[in-house]
Amino acid sequence: MFKHNVKLFLRTIKRYKTTFMINVIGLSSGLACVFLIALWVLDEVQVDKFHENDEHLYQVWNKFESQEGSRVFNWTPSILAETMADKLPEVKYAVSQTVPAQFAKIPLRVHDQIIKTGGVFAGKDYFNVFSYPLIEGDKDQVLEGTNSIVISESLANRLFGSPKEVVGKVIEWDAMGMLEKHQVSGVFKDIPSNSTTQFDFILPLATYKKGIIHNGGKNDWVNNNPITYILLNEGTNVEEFAAKIENFSKLQDEDVEADLIITKYSSNYLYSNFENGKQTSGRMNYVYLFSCIALFILTIACINFMNLSTANASRRLKEIGVKKALGSKRTTLITQYFGESVMTAFISLLLALLVVFLFIPQFNVITGKALSLSFDSLTFGLLLLIALFTGILAGSYPALHLSRFKPVTILRGQLKNSWGEVWVRKGLVIFQFSLSIILIIAVLLVSQQVAYVQSKNLGMDKDNVVYFKQEGHLRENAEAFLKELKEFPSVVNAAMTSQNIIGTNINTTGGLVWTGNEEERQSRFKELRIGHGFIETMDMKLKEGRSFSRQFPTDSAAIVFNETAIKVMGIKNPIGKTIHYGSRQYTIIGILKDFHFQSFRETVRPMFFRLNNNRSNLEFVVRIAAGTEKETLVKLADAYAKFNSGYVFEYSFLDSDFQAQYAAEQRVASLSKYFAGLAILISCLGLFGLAMYTAERRRKEISIRKVLGQSASQVTMMLSGEFAKLVLIAIGIAIPVAYLLANNWLSGFAYRIPLKGWYFMGAGCIALFVALLTVGSQAIGAANKNPVDGLKEE
Amino acid sequence: MLLNLKNISKWVQSGGQKVFLLKDINFWVNEGDFISIMGPSGSGKSTLLNVIGMLDDFNEGEYSFLDESVHTLKEKHRANLYKQYVGFVFQAYHLIDELTVKENLEMPLLYKKHSASERKSLVGDMLDRFNIVGKKDLFPAQLSGGQQQLVGVARALIASPKLILADEPTGNLNSKQGEEIMEIFTQLNKEGVTIIQVTHSEKNMAYGSRVINLLDGSIV
Repeated sequence: MFKHNVKLFLRTIKRYKTTFMINVIGLSSGLACVFLIALWVLDEVQVDKFHENDEHLYQVWNKFESQEGSRVFNWTPSILAETMADKLPEVKYAVSQTVPAQFAKIPLRVHDQIIKTGGVFAGKDYFNVFSYPLIEGDKDQVLEGTNSIVISESLANRLFGSPKEVVGKVIEWDAMGMLEKHQVSGVFKDIPSNSTTQFDFILPLATYKKGIIHNGGKNDWVNNNPITYILLNEGTNVEEFAAKIENFSKLQDEDVEADLIITKYSSNYLYSNFENGKQTSGRMNYVYLFSCIALFILTIACINFMNLSTANASRRLKEIGVKKALGSKRTTLITQYFGESVMTAFISLLLALLVVFLFIPQFNVITGKALSLSFDSLTFGLLLLIALFTGILAGSYPALHLSRFKPVTILRGQLKNSWGEVWVRKGLVIFQFSLSIILIIAVLLVSQQVAYVQSKNLGMDKDNVVYFKQEGHLRENAEAFLKELKEFPSVVNAAMTSQNIIGTNINTTGGLVWTGNEEERQSRFKELRIGHGFIETMDMKLKEGRSFSRQFPTDSAAIVFNETAIKVMGIKNPIGKTIHYGSRQYTIIGILKDFHFQSFRETVRPMFFRLNNNRSNLEFVVRIAAGTEKETLVKLADAYAKFNSGYVFEYSFLDSDFQAQYAAEQRVASLSKYFAGLAILISCLGLFGLAMYTAERRRKEISIRKVLGQSASQVTMMLSGEFAKLVLIAIGIAIPVAYLLANNWLSGFAYRIPLKGWYFMGAGCIALFVALLTVGSQAIGAANKNPVDGLKEE
Repeated sequence: MLLNLKNISKWVQSGGQKVFLLKDINFWVNEGDFISIMGPSGSGKSTLLNVIGMLDDFNEGEYSFLDESVHTLKEKHRANLYKQYVGFVFQAYHLIDELTVKENLEMPLLYKKHSASERKSLVGDMLDRFNIVGKKDLFPAQLSGGQQQLVGVARALIASPKLILADEPTGNLNSKQGEEIMEIFTQLNKEGVTIIQVTHSEKNMAYGSRVINLLDGSIV
């Protein structure tokens, strides 16, 4: 019996090749899509979860109340960690760690070899809190004192050729304006790629505190610098603890304005956004979004499968009738049809695995991950289960429904498709196309928004700007170096700054006092200390007053605001007014027109500039003439080598930093393109199959119509029109849904494109066009058949 | 007596009225009979045949087959009954297109408990008997109508039924092919198989031993 059924299955495939191909292609691409997304989702939710203490590992954040509502920052006082560890019994360990981006390219020198890589400064219990296994050194000891450095295995290999016997060797490093030699005290295993915190070496926090003082800062409760992590004792009631520490900093020092909140360390990756001081969403939205898409695509594929299996089964009604007349039991037939659909599902599964295998490299490029297909028993079981489920779902209709009828009814051809069945089938087509249209709209919208963001006037010029670190000998002769750069004809302008202008890492500060605001110091400002010529180099536009100038020696006590800052402060006729900041007094000399230094998700924040003292000149910015990048960079490198021999000239372009802010959107844009393509492909396969089936089923009707004088083109119109109607209904359903979703997504951007009608109409037209193309061939084929053939068969 | 129908009626409701397909049919069949059911189109011939074959229900009356009262049997038992004792021959042959001649013949045996070797020898016998050994690996579409019906008859016979029900077995065949099939029926009848055929043709009727004429669902 089994052999007999397999034989029948194979011969049916051979006879109805197209149907089978459509089934397998549709189902396997749906499954492949699900597998890829599942791999991605599984990877996303595992990020940062590898720490042994994950359950009790928390990050402490500063929360400031301001006019715009609560704002949450990861920078905390450098003495917060040790104080918490001292005074709170619930805290097992507490450590400070600098933001990895802050020291992302630090030159490390061993003899004549210089390697630039990223590192952090961290408190002495760091290795007790985080599970970064040590190959060399003792985890309680390695960060003691001020003279140690702990390096990664791969850095040890690069610097010394081996991770063995490196303890005690000396590395010279250059950061925070300090050049120091530290002894290697330990080696840790390379940090896995599913960790958000990435670095190659750790220096003691004590050294960092020294650096702060070296740069004229203070290690007190008002200056916020490193991140604070705490490890809570087991059994601590987290909610009570969070309530208890809310005003912890304020109790330590009366000048503190920030409350403390805590979040689980491993939750920060997926829930990175804060709303009113509460952790809300973030990447988790994408996890949900893509899971939904995967589910949708699989649903579409399953619907197709079911639809076509049913259509196919009706072709085989005779077989069912004969078998029943010859005494086949209903269960036998049910088993046969389930068996067939499950077998098809398994064939699709194999094909899907092949597709996943082929597409993984490309998928990794798009998602920026290092995913791979692994076949542990769990994955394997899951795959089989998915295929089995799909097969049973798809086979359920023909197996259960068609096997029910009396053989005479079937053999006499009296079995008519019920209206319910017809409507279910049409409903499924409408559902598929609605989804496809929504996805097409998403593609249009996301790509438009990304394009808008990239072309919108920033209020400054991000293009053709190179920046690089001031390090080594450049520190002493920075001015001379700058002067030499400016002499190159292809260098438009050059200046120094304390920080990169793009991005979120710019210092945030409060504590500005102006007339009318003596009491309340709530407003937070972005602050940048810059060199002469920076405003000009960045091509920022003045609204009022003037920029910093060497002609005015008093400019060291001058301050420049952006428009928003003046609005927030509410100062009338600001030029010449004075502002108190810290212990000093500054005169407002200029107002800059607003420019975007953060992503377009954020509104422009209040910002001010002061001239730098020499110590905090940490970066050079150079604007080069458009089109001369290559030769100018060579010249820059030469000049760099002349002034700073022994160091490698490493530069970045400002506009690539700018692009990086939209990495997530770019990713969504390119992924949604693939998904929309896939959805429409699968939907069209379904439509194609259905059109084919309809044309076949209505052969007699078409023949009669033709005999009665209807022309082939009229028949074509009639058949295509029927499917066009379905797509039109789908458009009607998809547009309002898409409109709501689009509004929701765009509301995440402070600066966004208006929703235009053509995104929706365009998507609808695309769907309609593709649908007609799909159905048209079948319709024309059916319309041009000889009517006699159609009539003879009855 | 092989089977006995008493006061069998079958109707459908149409516009609040009963339309009789079969009305008060009384008739019996002995083992070894060769019966022809005649009548114009729509007189209920095929319906009667399907009722006898237990493929179709009736609304009223009693039907006993080998002393089992069919109308009281459950679907499953009824299926077992006809599976064991009845073979069908259809006007449109109803061979399964995806199976070869050999496989089509084998199919009824799959629904009974026969071992593979038994099935093989039964199929072999049947192929021999109908002289179609050379065609055993062909698909129905590769055969002429007469040959297809030959396979149809062979398939009906393979499970050695007591009764063969044939619904216009020669309806789709030319006269020569038709004669061949009728010859085979006569031969089978001589060997003791009961045959009930529905036919339009006087010529085919002549092969039978008894004729039942139907008009508008009643025996006349």
